[in-house]
Amino acid sequence: MHIVVCIKAVPGSTEVKMDPETHTIVRDGREAVINPFDASAFELALELADARRAADEDCSVTVVSMGIPATERILRDACARGATDALLLSDRAFAGADTLATCHALACGIRALPAADLILCGKMAVDGDTAQIGPELAGAFDLPCVTDVSELVSAGNGAVVVRCGSDEGPVVVEAPMPCVLTVTKEAAQLRMPSIAGVRAAERAPVAVRGAEDVGADPARIGLSGSPTQVVRCFVPDRSGAVELFDGTAAQQAEALAGIMEGVRS
Amino acid sequence: MALIKPLSENYDEYRRDESRAQGNAETISFPTSEDEVRAILRELHAVRTPVTVQGARTGLAAGAVPTGGHVMNLSRMNAYLGLRRSSDGRFFLRVQPGVVLSELRKHLRARALPARDWDSESLAAAQELAQAPEQIFPTDPTETSACLGGMAACNASGARSYAYGPMRPHVSGLRVALACGDLVALRRGELKAHGRTLELTTESGRRIALDLPTYVMPQTKNASGYFVEDDMDAIDLFIGSDGTLGVITELELELMPAPAATWGVSCFFTTEAAAVAFTQAARPALGLATAFEYFDAAALDILRTQRENSTAFSALPAIDPEAACCIFVELSGTSEDELLDELYRLGELLDETGGSEKATWVARTDVDREAQRFFRHAVPESVNMLIDERRRTDPTITKLGSDMSVPDDKLADVMALYRASLSEAGLESAAWGHIGNNHLHVNVLPRNARDYARGKELFESWAVRVTAMGGAVSAEHGVGKLKRSFLAVMYGENHVREMARVKLALDPYGQLGRGNLFDPAYLEGGA
Repeated sequence: MHIVVCIKAVPGSTEVKMDPETHTIVRDGREAVINPFDASAFELALELADARRAADEDCSVTVVSMGIPATERILRDACARGATDALLLSDRAFAGADTLATCHALACGIRALPAADLILCGKMAVDGDTAQIGPELAGAFDLPCVTDVSELVSAGNGAVVVRCGSDEGPVVVEAPMPCVLTVTKEAAQLRMPSIAGVRAAERAPVAVRGAEDVGADPARIGLSGSPTQVVRCFVPDRSGAVELFDGTAAQQAEALAGIMEGVRS
Repeated sequence: MALIKPLSENYDEYRRDESRAQGNAETISFPTSEDEVRAILRELHAVRTPVTVQGARTGLAAGAVPTGGHVMNLSRMNAYLGLRRSSDGRFFLRVQPGVVLSELRKHLRARALPARDWDSESLAAAQELAQAPEQIFPTDPTETSACLGGMAACNASGARSYAYGPMRPHVSGLRVALACGDLVALRRGELKAHGRTLELTTESGRRIALDLPTYVMPQTKNASGYFVEDDMDAIDLFIGSDGTLGVITELELELMPAPAATWGVSCFFTTEAAAVAFTQAARPALGLATAFEYFDAAALDILRTQRENSTAFSALPAIDPEAACCIFVELSGTSEDELLDELYRLGELLDETGGSEKATWVARTDVDREAQRFFRHAVPESVNMLIDERRRTDPTITKLGSDMSVPDDKLADVMALYRASLSEAGLESAAWGHIGNNHLHVNVLPRNARDYARGKELFESWAVRVTAMGGAVSAEHGVGKLKRSFLAVMYGENHVREMARVKLALDPYGQLGRGNLFDPAYLEGGA
């Protein structure tokens, strides 16, 4: 089995710098960490790989990221934690990508790998909060996609069974493999590397590929390939006010209903 | 006096501290300034009322639990008073005793201290602090809600004392109000004893001559009784004096630059013997180690159970079923490259001593460091929960935790003593703590009153054996009220009397911290 996990390097701090021209986050690699949702997806992949290997089956886990060269550090760390292979898609041509352009780059990278039985993504990234990459990848590969996965119940015989969120609450669904899963932060806690893992990761090959290497369409990557236009970035107003009601319970309920009505309209 | 209030039901919590012991007092005060402390002391001195000084009440030896009289709680004396920078670039911060460690750390991390009412010299130093490399106060007791005054009173330590020592060397100045309300101002290096004779001059000009005790302190981590040595610095007498010699009204703390990089490594072993062998091999070999913390098989089992059964602990990392014990090693250095070399050295030592490079967790990110911190702190927290649960069926039992240390060459001996005697007594236990300093907290987990009594007897016998090994009966919690019988075992009756004489010279009616360190009977008759 081959599992691909998409990993994004996100700022380790809540204090981020924005590019005033492009309105995108300035990524210099300092203090970058693995997106917590992706960490959870990665751990599910590692647990599945452990289980398959315990059953004497071959199973490999490849981590893939699109990012600046400094993202190699995150991928090498992923190797220390148990990833078999790592692919970094790094090219100035990828810069400024929205989710659609990122998805094209990732899809090209994944196509260059051995065929994947499972593609795992975090449900969303903590910096962009779009939750679009997983479903877009499924679209790119024409695969089924299950979002909001909180538990991998089983995987085998050509299908995965997962617990996931739905409009009706948690449900258990089966999806044929290959497929794409997007995973919640709570699904699993990423294991720490061992010293042996850190040693091995120093020697691990982290493949770095540019846009041409993976056959990406120049018109579909980077800022120019991104239909999303960020018009303005601002800190949302979170001001609040407290109002105390007097009167009988009925009067207070009426006053409350009036406020709720105002919010609705 | 308006500052002194009846200790009514509203103040019930001030009869207790984290040791779970319960006391009584008639009145309570919450002074906010040195002047208020002195005014309260003068009033109580006139009528010889006992005074128990409290900080954040996080102590584990019942030092803050009152035995009648008055409770003086210093938690509202939590102001930052000033900052200076020495010519060699070090920062020295003055604080009131109620400043809480976690708050201090938060301000230091932000390089911004609450500088209200500071003078121009302090404000200039604060500007330099904002530009300088991040500073830390290195003393690291597990309980970060402890306050600085309480930490000085018990000479607190914690995990990083392996590298940085206890609180003592990091306190460069103290102001101490005596029982009569007079004041002693001390700065490290300015006043020393002549041999074992020390003369203090109070702010009012009174001279107090002290004949210091004649015992020799053990060459181990130690918070047992008054610190004494020939030609000692006067300030060191008050640090670790358990609130018995005066009320600390101000501390000056020496800060140090934060290490550029810090990694944590949890090393799992299949036998305790391998863990001991690793410790002995790693201490001289790992120059960048700042902590060695141990967790025995029972402690790991408690965590496994908590992880399975409690949602509050479900985020604990899964522990390999093969693991019988764990040593957490913290490495701090000037760069990640430097730490990587040290990590590989650590790995080689593991392979040589019966551990394995594979059976480790390496934390190099904040998320992983937080997971390790949660793991380490979950052990004592879980044991407290377990004891609280058992107290519901038998309220007479409470936690019994040892705090003894021995010299380096006695580590294997003391571990063997603990294992053999616990097994012989048939007691349930869990042990964890500072194996780098040969200082474990062995916790007896009593199932009933009989277990509790046997546990206490066991600790008394350990006090004798640990003393014979050249160790200390309290390495970091202080003696307080719970361990005072051990102090007599450690130093002998005559030396305890010498300590009592020092106290009476400074506190002639034996008002302060009554019951801490020694039985009040030693103070009968006064100075």
